[in-house]
Amino acid sequence: MSRLMIEARVNGETVTALADPRDTLLDLLRDRLGLTGTKEGCGNGNCGSCTVLVDGEPVNACLMFAVEAPGREILTVEGLSRNGELTDLQRNLADSGGTQCGFCTPGIVLSATALLARNAAPSEADIRLAIAGNLCRCTGYDKIVRAIALTAEQRRR
Amino acid sequence: MRSGRLCGSLGRNVIAEDRDAKMDPFAYHRPESLADACERLGREGARILAGGTDLIPQLREARRRATHIVDVKLLPGCAAIAAGDDGGLVIGAAVPASVVARHPEILARYPALAAAAGMIGSLQVQNRATLGGNICNAAPSADAVPPLLVFDAQVTVSGRSGERRMPLEDVFAGPGRTNLEPGEVLTTIHLPPQAARSASHYLRFTPRREMDIAVVGVAARVACGADGLVSEARIALASVAPTPIRARGAEAALIGRGLDEGAIAEAARAAMAEARPISDTRASAEYRRALVEVLARRALAHCRDRLDEAFAGRAE
Amino acid sequence: MDAPAPSIGQSLPRVDGRDRVAGRALYPADMQRPNMAHARILRSPHAHAVIRAVDTSRAEALEGVFAVVTAADFPEIPLGTMIPMGETGADMWMVSLINMARGKVFWVGQPVAAVAARDPHVAQAALALIAVEYEVLEPAPDMDSAMREGAPVLHEHVVTKGVAPAAQAPSNICSRTLIERGAVDEALARSPARASVSVVVDTAHQGYIEPQAMLAEVSADGFATVWTSTQGQFTTELMIARMLDRPLSKLKVVPMEVGGAFGGKILIHGEAVAVRLAEKCGRPVRLVFGRDEVLQGGSGPTMGVAIGIDVAAEADGRLTAISGTYHVDAGALPGLSPSLLMQASAALYQVENLRLEGFDVVTNKPRTEAYRGPGGIQGAFAMEQAMDELCLRLGMDPLEFRRRNAAVTGSTMPIGTPFPSIGLTNILDAVAAHPCWTEPLEPGPRPRGRGLALGYWRGTSMTSACHITIGGDGRPVVTMGAVDISGTRTSMTQVAADQFGLAPEDVHVQTGDSKSVGYSDGAAGSRVARTMAAAIVEASEEVLDQLRVRAAGLLQAEAEQVAYANGVFRLQGGSAITLAELMQETISSGAVVGRGTSTKLPFGVEVGAHVCDVEVDEETGQVTILRYTAFQDVGRALNPSAIEGQIQGSVVQGLGWALTEGYDYDAEGRLRNASLLDYRLPTALDVPPIDCVIIETPVPGVPYGLRGVGEVPIVPVAACVANAVARAVGVRTRRMPMTPERLLAAMRARLSRDA
Repeated sequence: MSRLMIEARVNGETVTALADPRDTLLDLLRDRLGLTGTKEGCGNGNCGSCTVLVDGEPVNACLMFAVEAPGREILTVEGLSRNGELTDLQRNLADSGGTQCGFCTPGIVLSATALLARNAAPSEADIRLAIAGNLCRCTGYDKIVRAIALTAEQRRR
Repeated sequence: MRSGRLCGSLGRNVIAEDRDAKMDPFAYHRPESLADACERLGREGARILAGGTDLIPQLREARRRATHIVDVKLLPGCAAIAAGDDGGLVIGAAVPASVVARHPEILARYPALAAAAGMIGSLQVQNRATLGGNICNAAPSADAVPPLLVFDAQVTVSGRSGERRMPLEDVFAGPGRTNLEPGEVLTTIHLPPQAARSASHYLRFTPRREMDIAVVGVAARVACGADGLVSEARIALASVAPTPIRARGAEAALIGRGLDEGAIAEAARAAMAEARPISDTRASAEYRRALVEVLARRALAHCRDRLDEAFAGRAE
Repeated sequence: MDAPAPSIGQSLPRVDGRDRVAGRALYPADMQRPNMAHARILRSPHAHAVIRAVDTSRAEALEGVFAVVTAADFPEIPLGTMIPMGETGADMWMVSLINMARGKVFWVGQPVAAVAARDPHVAQAALALIAVEYEVLEPAPDMDSAMREGAPVLHEHVVTKGVAPAAQAPSNICSRTLIERGAVDEALARSPARASVSVVVDTAHQGYIEPQAMLAEVSADGFATVWTSTQGQFTTELMIARMLDRPLSKLKVVPMEVGGAFGGKILIHGEAVAVRLAEKCGRPVRLVFGRDEVLQGGSGPTMGVAIGIDVAAEADGRLTAISGTYHVDAGALPGLSPSLLMQASAALYQVENLRLEGFDVVTNKPRTEAYRGPGGIQGAFAMEQAMDELCLRLGMDPLEFRRRNAAVTGSTMPIGTPFPSIGLTNILDAVAAHPCWTEPLEPGPRPRGRGLALGYWRGTSMTSACHITIGGDGRPVVTMGAVDISGTRTSMTQVAADQFGLAPEDVHVQTGDSKSVGYSDGAAGSRVARTMAAAIVEASEEVLDQLRVRAAGLLQAEAEQVAYANGVFRLQGGSAITLAELMQETISSGAVVGRGTSTKLPFGVEVGAHVCDVEVDEETGQVTILRYTAFQDVGRALNPSAIEGQIQGSVVQGLGWALTEGYDYDAEGRLRNASLLDYRLPTALDVPPIDCVIIETPVPGVPYGLRGVGEVPIVPVAACVANAVARAVGVRTRRMPMTPERLLAAMRARLSRDA
């Protein structure tokens, strides 16, 4: 099967890549575009490690074909920082124990980014629901939840 | 090898033959007209892609095969929610579950459907999974289907020879199988208007709070007359039969009665008797039957509370 | 120069945290090498079968396939080929069969062949072209079927060790272990209060989110480099070398970031296969597991058990006897000793009469591997429930019961030796004073209960090594032989900063590959922070000794007259030179290298007590954890935030196994829930915030008095929940996980008994 040329908007830039039609968006990002910050933990939408934002909404990149990407605005963890400057959410997660092994972390960063964009004052339950699609095996979630809540609180100040 | 999906379950066990399987190469199409879509869907090995949350894992594990993938997300009407001619609501088959879950009119008039759409998979999955996909994947555990059944939903199916409209219940042929013909695509879902004095609810049981498949799902809708007695009742069940089913005996047990504890308990027991579940890795048949009784009772009690609130509101 | 703020005891953010949140931390699956090929493994569809023939010719002929390997590509390793790994060594026969089956397959998912190809799609397609002829044998997928009369025998050469008279016939019961003192039967018979609990615990998985991944490259000159996700670069190097008969001088293992391990990344699971493929095709080869492979046969889950406990006490609550029978399900390959878990389960109680008997049983399932205090949670699930039942019989407060029977420093351990320093009574005092225990449990809409359970884990010490060099600006660089799976770089930055009296940002700590630092054992057994701290202390002293000589030369004094503190060498009452100035002056005067090793550090035994409140839905059997508090003695808290993170993560892992995680095999030995959908790790919505109470009872003879931290906080969890459930609804499932269905069945069984 011949490869397809895919042109997509990723992290604010127009990118092109040759892809196999069977490639998922995750394959496109990791293997064709070298954006390895998005992780593959299960390949079936059951862990959330590959969460990216598609038109602002969290999506499992493993559950979307690369050929569906054109016309969508895709944001990965690499697209969050500007000129090497991390977002406040990223800093809070890093500085308060919200990341341990780090494998689920990019997905959690994006799920939480989407939450804070639509809810400036999330409750603990809101936060837990927003990251319920992101499995973390190291932290027990506690410090992640607190870092997200702290970020919301700091932004409201 | 099967790894499970979030949108529905066909209850299939891991089978060894799947292990070495591969995803076949396929051609991808994104038609913008129904005629084009139906023509492409008529080809050998064609499959519909909507949200992809079931299809992609199925293809990867070779539980389904495809040589043509037809993306229906750009088809006219498939991505919109609109008022129906009858005062009801028309939901495009490719509308994502997250849109359904947050839609003000669905929240107000069809709350059981909004609740169910908000339970499918995770938020990430809800942002992709569609109502049409949830129906056509034909999993017994599809969360959105019991609410659609209790709202007497109809669906429009388009094919090369034109359109047909059918009750949702008639779509299902068995686990993973529908009565749609090759070349047909489900385009819209029609919800009739609701009686003024009515309430609905969907409850499901899962061992985890999120990211899980319904061990049992129960949707209930009750409408009452001015006398406060039940004039119309619908109860539908997920994960207890080869397809989502209506529990008609349970519905009949409510008609003409007040929605009191006795009537609710009787209907819940009737629903349990109508369930014919299997045992699999998620639960035994016996446990599923027990849950049907519990969830039916709780869903009906929730409807009663909503109706009581409505009456109280009117009295003021 | 002013003294910096003390770094020990501070919650320093992870020194590698920002790379993680930026998505820049590199795991092996993120690696690319020029001309790289992609590997896939063909796995057995049968739980027990003889391999009659493997034909790879059609796969080799597929366009884009570069190499195919089978057992024929590896030297045969006889049983009992031990390598020095861990406290008891590891049998390379066992390790090799985990990586590639030979002659027979013992579990579904065992590797049978592997392919390297142009891309993953081609590699996957090639697997379907490999023809394997199997003679399918009857499997023994669980301990009952493996131990029954006439069971299919997995290994003809295995007879039960540790029985008298010596066994003759081959058996699936590989060994018997006995720990005994006093007269247990007599004590059980005469004691006024007695309780029995027997439990069955399902096999469970460590659940790390990063599947196994590795990249192997063999240079044209024959030097192999393996980038992998491992708990130990040196032990991995040993295993790869032995499996390939490759000299260590021709092999290097580079440990990458590890996306969770918890014991499951100690053994190799394909690294040697990737090297062999790379040799055969002359390209770098990347092998990344799918989640289904991780769960079914590609990696070892941890052992299921069947345990029966009898305990007895005097009317005043003084424990008189503990008797336990432990069957552990090792999976398909023998060699899993139940001794540590037996000891751990009984360790925290002083008792005169003790008998613990354990059996290592093989079944047609993946060879089980370590998981966070291996066996600890299973043993505690039985023992702590038995103790709780005894309290109910005695009508005694469970905390008071523990205080009366608590092991103390110097009391007799199960193996008969005196306890080293432990702080159990400090912990029990802390529980007694804490609101989680003193505040009454508020009634809710459904039954609620509060549970208490203790946990013990010995941990280990073994070998850790590091060296320290000093940069030209005076800043120390610590290269450790330890892989960082628990924030080691951060905590060791604190230790090194403390040793040099510098700020943490002036110290760099890195993990070396297997060719750039001295041998260290793997990151396992709650050992790394304690032993690496000791190594850093030693290396820092050696560096400062070397520097004192240099400083003395510049200050025109004897080395003995030079004191060092906070970055400054100073003569008593006289002149001084900073570490930075000294290095600038003397950078060309020869290398400064300090070596540190730690080999026989005293154990830093871990003790914890957990309290939780639960609510039970009596109609569905669903348990909700309302509140959870974990008390733990850590000796000294190097980094309190990191310790809380370890405890919270452990507790949530324990809650997962307690309530929803367990392997479900069918009669043919196929896993029915080989996905993260049906193998249910807890989500953020399934667990409450976990409160941590850190207690510090230092260990003598260990730098900073450090204890192990990472393992014990999983040990009491399931028992704690079970005890809370029992107090809420009066039943115990005796099965783990305590799924809603199992709990509902237990409640209904009691109703029908009562009726």
